[in-house]
Amino acid sequence: MDMLLELDHISKIYGDLHAVDDLSLTVPQGEWLAIVGSSGSGKTTLMNMIGCMDTPSKGSVKLEGRKLEDLNAGQLADVRKNLIGLVFQKFYLVPHLTAVENVMVAQYYHSVVDEKQALEALEKVGLKDRAHHLPGQLSGGEQQRVCVARALINEPKLILADEPTGNLDEKNEKIVLDLFRQLHEQGTTIIVVTHDALVASCAEREIMLNHGVLVGEKWNDEKAREAYEAAGGKPASTGAQVEGAQTGETAIGFADPTKAAKTGGEE
Amino acid sequence: MTNTGMFFRMLFSAVFRRRSRAVMAVVASLVGAATLFCLAMICIAVPQQMNEEMRAYGANLIVTPTEAGADGKAGIDKAMVEHTTEMVAAKGSEKHAAYRYENVRVNAAPYVMAGIDVSEVRNLNHHWVVDGAWPSEGKVLIGRDVADAMGLQVGSGITIGYRASDNTSSSTSSAGSSDASASGSTAGASGSDSASSSDDAADSADSSHSSHSSDSADGTTQSQTPSDQPTQDGRVSSDIMDTSGTEFRVAGIVDTGGSEDSIIYATNADVDKLTGTSRGVDVIEYSAGAEDLNALVQSINDMTSMHVKAQQVTKITSSDTRIITMLQTLFWIVSLVVLVLTLVGVGTTISSIVSQRRNEIGLRKALGASSAAIGTEFYVESAMYGLIGGLLGTAIGYGLAQWLCVAVFERSIGFNWWLGAASVVLAALVAVIASIPPVHRATRIDPAVVLREE
Repeated sequence: MDMLLELDHISKIYGDLHAVDDLSLTVPQGEWLAIVGSSGSGKTTLMNMIGCMDTPSKGSVKLEGRKLEDLNAGQLADVRKNLIGLVFQKFYLVPHLTAVENVMVAQYYHSVVDEKQALEALEKVGLKDRAHHLPGQLSGGEQQRVCVARALINEPKLILADEPTGNLDEKNEKIVLDLFRQLHEQGTTIIVVTHDALVASCAEREIMLNHGVLVGEKWNDEKAREAYEAAGGKPASTGAQVEGAQTGETAIGFADPTKAAKTGGEE
Repeated sequence: MTNTGMFFRMLFSAVFRRRSRAVMAVVASLVGAATLFCLAMICIAVPQQMNEEMRAYGANLIVTPTEAGADGKAGIDKAMVEHTTEMVAAKGSEKHAAYRYENVRVNAAPYVMAGIDVSEVRNLNHHWVVDGAWPSEGKVLIGRDVADAMGLQVGSGITIGYRASDNTSSSTSSAGSSDASASGSTAGASGSDSASSSDDAADSADSSHSSHSSDSADGTTQSQTPSDQPTQDGRVSSDIMDTSGTEFRVAGIVDTGGSEDSIIYATNADVDKLTGTSRGVDVIEYSAGAEDLNALVQSINDMTSMHVKAQQVTKITSSDTRIITMLQTLFWIVSLVVLVLTLVGVGTTISSIVSQRRNEIGLRKALGASSAAIGTEFYVESAMYGLIGGLLGTAIGYGLAQWLCVAVFERSIGFNWWLGAASVVLAALVAVIASIPPVHRATRIDPAVVLREE
């Protein structure tokens, strides 16, 4: 099994704060991974490093076998547009462009603009009728679906989604998760950062961060785990010497987080 | 749709779907362009206006013959007047008047009479104050000094006698050298007629008609009459008490405060009739609108076959040039200040627009846009704001300039298309230059920082 992503003892350090502390992780092609943890646990920092939008203070990130630390800003931008599709919690649609134009922007920076293809992507997320509406005229769920359409328009190998359902109601959450499920079935690797237990449970594999330290890992799909281990895949690990850290080669299980975690409630 | 099509689609969306912000940027450019264009138009209009105003005070160029004919009074013939005028007109607008001078006698006393084309002289010398009417057939215009000396009034009769002997070269041969020096002091009129044609009349008349040129090129002081002839009340003393002549009526009295006041002006036809001969003129005075008067003078003087000599009336041209230069300097300084203020204003506005779009820039970078691609989008957008603002501003600036010129100079100004195009291009350029620092900062935005939500 090919490893799409390899994190080798990566850390992100701001002064005395270790936003991500000595994390090692491998993600094979086609895996659906959820990164869970409370606010400030380093999930988004980790996602930014994987998405070539930030560089680790220590360690190495390999994407498709290429070490990201060896690449300059332009090459990192190329990796972003060629390999990665980004889905944000706050959608980040360009407010003065229509839904279809927002999708076409990704095409524009990637290769060649194709309005028909962009409309097809919107049709895939159920928004063909809303293609010529501005983001301000769309609901949150619709905006997130435009965001998903934009992420998948260039057929990226990796979809990185940061709290993709964080601003959505249940109905729209289900629509978005169904879209992810379809993408996963098509072989797209998906890494989702989430608080949401439902979203996390949809993933094949979950890892949990706490204050930047890996504190747990669990598989929701046994077949996927077996395939991963058969391909030589190892559990994620951390070199951080902190109580509860997953330091060895044995995964430490954990209970699914709930949305209450967002507000500091009990898990 | 091509990528270029998408580029312009994004551009037009940014401009026309974000109208309030776009309006801010356009207004900033508009104000700058309007002010600059208005100032530039006035910078151009004022010298033109000043030129015209100054030229209303008489000639700035004088042309005289360089040699005389066999009779000593050939003058400049009509064809040569036309040719010289064509040369002057080729370099800019012109007004001219030609004068033929003759010595005449009134009550036995010698005076200078000038044969003129009334409309030409009237058109050239707006500063002449004429009491009564300009000369016409059988009627003369006399100088204030002449009128006072003889107690003449408008409507009075005057007997003017002409003696050929007063106007021959022999009559002035004794005064030849002094004539030359005297005439040389005037604006070339008499400077050229050194021997035969520089008779008393020409000397006196030249000095009077060129009174404003008394400090002309050579800077010497003119003498109004030949130095070897005693004068009294502007008349050459004579003991020949012959009062016969032709009856004329005084049509008007001219008062300039200068030596024109001691001359009698009649129509060319009357002078021809009085003298019994028709000949060329002694002086052509030009009010020339040529930008480079020196070059014009040089070009006329280089044409030796024309047998004429041109000289500038430096008093008029130098004061004209000095005032215009001062005004232009003042306007350009103000324009420079306005340009800097526009740059600051547009820069601040664009900076504000760019900072409002930080998230969008971060997103575009996250989607794989290079800094150069984002920079290009923003620079073209800024240029578009500048272009729209420039177009509107130039139109408003022209309106303002027009209003100012009508209010101050009582004349309208035509639209200068080159200046208009320059104004629009400058507005676009200023908008782009002003957007360089904020866009440069924006393209260095770390997408992770902008998109970070934790």
